[in-house]
Amino acid sequence: METVVTEFSWGIALILLPLAGGMICFLWPRRTQILGLVTVFAVALSVGGLAWQMLDKGVYRHAVGGWGAPLGIDLYADGLSLLMLATTALVGFAISVYSAAYFKQEDAIRFWPLWLFLLAALNALFLSGDIFNVYVTFELMGLAAVSLVALAGGRDALGGAMRYLLAALLGSLAYLLGVALLYHGFGTVDIALLSERVEPSPVVWAALGLMGAGLLLKTAVFPLHFWLPPAHASAPAPVSALLSALVVKASFYILLRLWLEVFEPLISSEGVYTLLGLIGAMAVLWGSIQALRQTRLKLLIAYSTVAQIGYLFLAFPLAVAVGSTAWSAVAYLAISHALAKAAMFLAAGNLVRFGGHDRIADLDRVVQRLPLTAAAFALAGVSIMGLPPSGGFIGKWLMLEVALTQGRWDLVVVMLLGGLLAAAYVFKVLGYAFTQAEVAHEPKTVPASMEWAALLLALAAVLMGFLAVPVLSLVDIGDPFGLSEVRP
Amino acid sequence: MEALTLLEWGFDGLLGLGLLWLAWRALTCPELFKAIVLFIAFGLLMALAWVRLDAPDVALAEAAIGAGLTGALLLAAFAKLSLVTGHEELKPARSEKNRIRFQHYWMPATTLLLVTAGLFYVILSLPPYAAGLSVEVASNLDTSGVSNPVTAVLLNFRGYDTLLEMVVLLLALLGVWSLGDTTIHREAAPGLVLDTLARVLVPLLILVAAYLLWVGAHAPGGAFQAGAVLGAAGVLLLLSSWRPHADLIAWPLRLMLVLGPAIFVIMAVLLYLTKGQLLEFPPAQAGILILILEAVATVSIGITLAALFLGGRPRRGKGQA
Amino acid sequence: MSAPFFYALVGIGLFSLGLYGLIVHAHLLRKILALNIMGSGIFLVLVALAKRTGEAPPDAVPHAMVITGVVVAVSATALALTLMLKLTAETGRAELPEKGRE
Repeated sequence: METVVTEFSWGIALILLPLAGGMICFLWPRRTQILGLVTVFAVALSVGGLAWQMLDKGVYRHAVGGWGAPLGIDLYADGLSLLMLATTALVGFAISVYSAAYFKQEDAIRFWPLWLFLLAALNALFLSGDIFNVYVTFELMGLAAVSLVALAGGRDALGGAMRYLLAALLGSLAYLLGVALLYHGFGTVDIALLSERVEPSPVVWAALGLMGAGLLLKTAVFPLHFWLPPAHASAPAPVSALLSALVVKASFYILLRLWLEVFEPLISSEGVYTLLGLIGAMAVLWGSIQALRQTRLKLLIAYSTVAQIGYLFLAFPLAVAVGSTAWSAVAYLAISHALAKAAMFLAAGNLVRFGGHDRIADLDRVVQRLPLTAAAFALAGVSIMGLPPSGGFIGKWLMLEVALTQGRWDLVVVMLLGGLLAAAYVFKVLGYAFTQAEVAHEPKTVPASMEWAALLLALAAVLMGFLAVPVLSLVDIGDPFGLSEVRP
Repeated sequence: MEALTLLEWGFDGLLGLGLLWLAWRALTCPELFKAIVLFIAFGLLMALAWVRLDAPDVALAEAAIGAGLTGALLLAAFAKLSLVTGHEELKPARSEKNRIRFQHYWMPATTLLLVTAGLFYVILSLPPYAAGLSVEVASNLDTSGVSNPVTAVLLNFRGYDTLLEMVVLLLALLGVWSLGDTTIHREAAPGLVLDTLARVLVPLLILVAAYLLWVGAHAPGGAFQAGAVLGAAGVLLLLSSWRPHADLIAWPLRLMLVLGPAIFVIMAVLLYLTKGQLLEFPPAQAGILILILEAVATVSIGITLAALFLGGRPRRGKGQA
Repeated sequence: MSAPFFYALVGIGLFSLGLYGLIVHAHLLRKILALNIMGSGIFLVLVALAKRTGEAPPDAVPHAMVITGVVVAVSATALALTLMLKLTAETGRAELPEKGRE
């Protein structure tokens, strides 16, 4: 049994299982819900298998087709990929359980194949070692995500989906031009080989600009965030959770991966990471302020995503001197945000199901009537605010520590302000949740599985506050942040 | 030889400038229908550019998919758009809200000019001779099972990309289907010309598709080109008001759509279990395995493209059993 | 300047023209057209520079990438067009809806 687990190539299962599941759900619509749940559960088990294998043998590498780079495509996973895959599996499973209760049969038939293909695309992206392969996974992800947003129907969802599609395609095209330049400049599209061959030259600078711009657009970083609030707010609740928690992290992961591996020779110049830190800071402030101004709950949560993504970019200027802590903080923040934001959107979905609307001012004594949902929102808010104990606290604490030791008071101020604003908008929602609304609503029942899914995700976000040591040691598998290299 | 080089230069220059000019006209033409037709012409000129650049496989794919099917999709969408918004789209846009105001376009224009200039410099900084991966492709071509290097890359060396790409195509159809249904009742009978043309062309197109599929192993061609021709046959049938039998639109249609990617996944798994790496073709059987893959892919691609043209999930019409 | 570089520059030109069209037009069908032209430009860059092999046949890997790209482009275009039609049926105009409550 042991040898089966350590010898089997789990990465392949992570990609092929959801592909097969999506196709089977498409062929057999009547059984789509159970098939979908089984597939996602199998994916979760496979991530466990991969983790076991990687703890034993180190990084995972699989040469598809037997050719190996540069001729073939390599699948590659180190600690960072593993953590992203695990987050995807965990959040994906919780959202799947939620969706089984959320969607009626006719909507479920359309939802499950799209969601399973999205899962396949996410896994394929986190496992990919080839930048052109990443482009194809981006397109797979984009088309699936846009179709999922449009499931809600209606003017807002369709408009949000259209804006999202145009932005996603533009981002992918900019990225692809960068890929073309890198290939013709260095003769390969394999990330590991590129990291060896790249040297500073106009081609690399152009590729950085193009791919950076494309990926920043896909990650909805200020000022390229315009597409995110309409799309995430008008989608069905589980879809909003998927998008904010997982899909935006995918393009950030690629940006980080390229930054650390391919564009590493360019890092010695100040301008780029100062720019990234600057837009991160503006995202934190702008997103938080806009979140505070919202009257609708889902738009508030969407703007909170814009703000939290900004935090991830604050790490870039900090990572120059002290790489390890800053990048570990980023990994921690990304995972905690995924858990907490998914919990928030699922809780919002419960509230909409319950009261028929998502106006914050009209939340009617939710705490008494939907205690699990209110608790889920509150606990998720704890992580978003960065209060202990929670994953968000660990991530922000690590970043504050690095910023203080480097004397970056500007970033410290931004982080503290961001935390205060986050507290403001979280408590705004909770405040209304305690009070009675002016107009009473006919409450509809919310299935228990939906409430529990939200609550368990929020608890996981809080639990991350206690798991710092094991998680951070997992991240170091394969040394993704290049810390053992000696920098000249 | 001088005259030949001058001729080549003249041809390339005209082609390149023609591409730019057609693109500009397609983007700025006030009448939307004209813009779409200009885009189709642009696609055909691109196919010519691919031939000029020694990329016949790409030329076939561009002519069939890029110009042909994309053009058909655009025209169909335009026709449906005119129905929904009235016929205002046919007239040149004169209203204030459709005019591009000067202050809105000088800033993006100047930024783009700077970016373009920068990219020109980057392109020109590349070395004039670069083999890329052509050496590796050539040395491994013998064990790949085919002798057309593009087919070898698509189906063997980088077959994983092709698998994902086929799923992308299927996914687009899933997305289109999730957006709405369309009834499959027969519309008005086609005119005589269209009817005759369809009857003559469709069998011919199927033959051409089969040929392209077969010949793709050692000459320009392959599954995508063949699938696109098959899709064109499907579009022609749909345009002449042919509709599939009501019983076929349930699981038989779905099965055919899924067949390509599904067989690909199954073969990938089987090869992993027998050979140790995903999609690792044994050199002796590679040729026949690739042909099987391409055959099912052709069918799936053709039907998917035709279904995309239909624009909605087919439902039985009213009054049908 | 040889043919590969000339066509690559044309490709960059198409990319920029398409990007300009995408930004400046409000009508969704024109935006989709612009995206397609951008894509064609990038494909031209990929294939043109693959011909820098001198007397030998061109590099086949970018050709395969472009064929993949063409199929992906038609998939995205089909979805975009259907989404546009559905949106127009709801709002009556083939444009992105003005952001309402922000």
